[in-house]
Amino acid sequence: MSAQHSTSSIPFATLTEALTAAPDNRPFVTMWFDDDDVSTYSFGEFKRWSTSQAALFKEHGLGEGDTAILIMPQGVALMAAFVGAMLLGAVPSILAYPTFKVEPAKYRSGLAGVSANLNAKLVVVDDSFPEEFLESVSLGDQSKLIRVNSLPPISASDGLARVRREPQDLAFIQHSGGTTGLQKGVALSHGAVLRQLIHLGDSLKIQPADRIYSWLPLYHDMGLIACFILPMVYHLHLVMQSPTDWVLQPASMLHLISRYQCTLAWVPNFTLQFLARRVKPEDRKEYDLRSLRALINCSEPVRAESMDAFAGAFSDCGLPPTALQSSYAMAENVFAVTQSGINGASAPSRIWIDSSKYQSERIALSVDRGSQAAACFVSSGQCLPNNEVRIASENGESLPEGHVGEILIRSDSMLNGYYNRPDLTSLSLRDGWYWSGDLGFVLDRELYVTGRKRDLIIVGGKNIYPQDLEEIACAHPLIHDGRAVAFGLYNPDLGTEEIVLVAETEELSDLRDPSLVEKTIRASIVAELGVAPRAIYLKPPRWIVKSTAGKPARSATREKLMAEHSELRISLTNKLNE
Amino acid sequence: MTDPGSELIDYISKEVIRRPNVKLTVDTPLVSSGLIDSFSLVDVLTKLEEVTAMRIPAGKVQPKDMDTVSLMLSTARRIGKPRK
Repeated sequence: MSAQHSTSSIPFATLTEALTAAPDNRPFVTMWFDDDDVSTYSFGEFKRWSTSQAALFKEHGLGEGDTAILIMPQGVALMAAFVGAMLLGAVPSILAYPTFKVEPAKYRSGLAGVSANLNAKLVVVDDSFPEEFLESVSLGDQSKLIRVNSLPPISASDGLARVRREPQDLAFIQHSGGTTGLQKGVALSHGAVLRQLIHLGDSLKIQPADRIYSWLPLYHDMGLIACFILPMVYHLHLVMQSPTDWVLQPASMLHLISRYQCTLAWVPNFTLQFLARRVKPEDRKEYDLRSLRALINCSEPVRAESMDAFAGAFSDCGLPPTALQSSYAMAENVFAVTQSGINGASAPSRIWIDSSKYQSERIALSVDRGSQAAACFVSSGQCLPNNEVRIASENGESLPEGHVGEILIRSDSMLNGYYNRPDLTSLSLRDGWYWSGDLGFVLDRELYVTGRKRDLIIVGGKNIYPQDLEEIACAHPLIHDGRAVAFGLYNPDLGTEEIVLVAETEELSDLRDPSLVEKTIRASIVAELGVAPRAIYLKPPRWIVKSTAGKPARSATREKLMAEHSELRISLTNKLNE
Repeated sequence: MTDPGSELIDYISKEVIRRPNVKLTVDTPLVSSGLIDSFSLVDVLTKLEEVTAMRIPAGKVQPKDMDTVSLMLSTARRIGKPRK
């Protein structure tokens, strides 16, 4: 599946050139904490702030081609530091800032792994960064760590000589989802990022009057690309808050869209359900969502019930019926591969398929909505210009329409490679195609994403590999080595998956007091992965179903557990995603 | 009138953990022990705002500030602003 070739031209060679061309007096970022604590910075102020950061970093030895790690709270200081590094021709990478939501041990190990791979010349943290995490930052012989003030400079000249960069030069490194510490640094050139933004801009019909709302973290592609780099390149106004502040006050998203008349926003699927559940019906009349052109569901599997819950809850707030859209995106392609609403489509397509045919033959056969065992899938849209999707079988052969296989992507905005990881790059990029590890099918030029090849569990937008959970369980002395199975269960109330783990004890007698074992495994999972399982089940020896190769069969074990435990309710869609 | 600590313990026991055999005190580790995770921590922080009548800027709350009820209450005292 591919789109037409783009005829749009790129007026800039680099991202910093695009920023330089922005009118100084135009508002760029409004950073909102609450209605009494809100600041708006113009493009001119942002350029001066970035220049000031560049001068500071230069004093500390940062130069052309060096990598710089930025660990700062969500805000304009972080954005200015990011651009400041690029002005010097350096390659910045934003890492997650520790909030109350992270588990310290997990954060430390992630920070150590990612910073070691980046081998940064300069590590920049803000003046409040907790001392106890600093020792986990990997610093090389030539590295330097500095603290910066999060306030804008009182005055800053624009006199810094910018380093000339070319479109093929590296612009920055963003990290793909995955187990912390094993996150892959996706290296992207200025040209690749600009081409993606041209295609995305064309698809969304970006206009100068567009205003973007975001609570998305800047260390994630959806926050970084759609809600920072896109408005910077298109000279749009961005209204932003921190993810932690949003989670505490979910309705603030609706308040800000109403107050600033925002036209575009991106959110992961769970947000829609979260808002529909958290915002009381009597409070909904406060919001005016008429300005929204597109609220794009992205980065988690798109669920019809979440979209319907949001539309049902907020239709009286003027939410346009065409506003809810979807997209399939990944850091490796800079951001979006597909987008719904292209070519005048009003809403993402939905199809109902025969679930038994799907399970037995991996074929999406369209059936009537009311048919028995009909399962609904929502499209993630059509390919962006110059993007191509191919559905492949296990051995790489192209599959016809309606057949489920791995999603392969080819585009002109692809990553240069995983930073310092040629081994991973050659595994994922083969013959010009990126092997995504996602499963899906194509029907009538629309892409339907059905799950992950490697049984990935997505909890609130966070990617968790079952192998990591199983390894933690098996590290317990009373658990039989290699006899644990973890999987995700979709919770319709939360709009996201939850973790279920089942493990065999070494001896039957170990089951006499299972609560202590369960407690220890639970604590280890939280410590290492930062998520708490919904349920942990301990079973006697030889309970787990094994494959012919003698390994735990995840799918069959899951079926057995579901049959024994009726409390594990499961949605049909999730069942199909096995 | 119930004190904020008891009110928080009661809320966490009944609404978050929901396991009758787990008894909490103000010093019981909640996050590091795996009793609660980041999803429910958000609910706990909202409850903390309610019982202390403070507005707590979430961006300034560090992981160590939320591990026990006792630490939560001192965090509210340290960085909270009285609600209007």
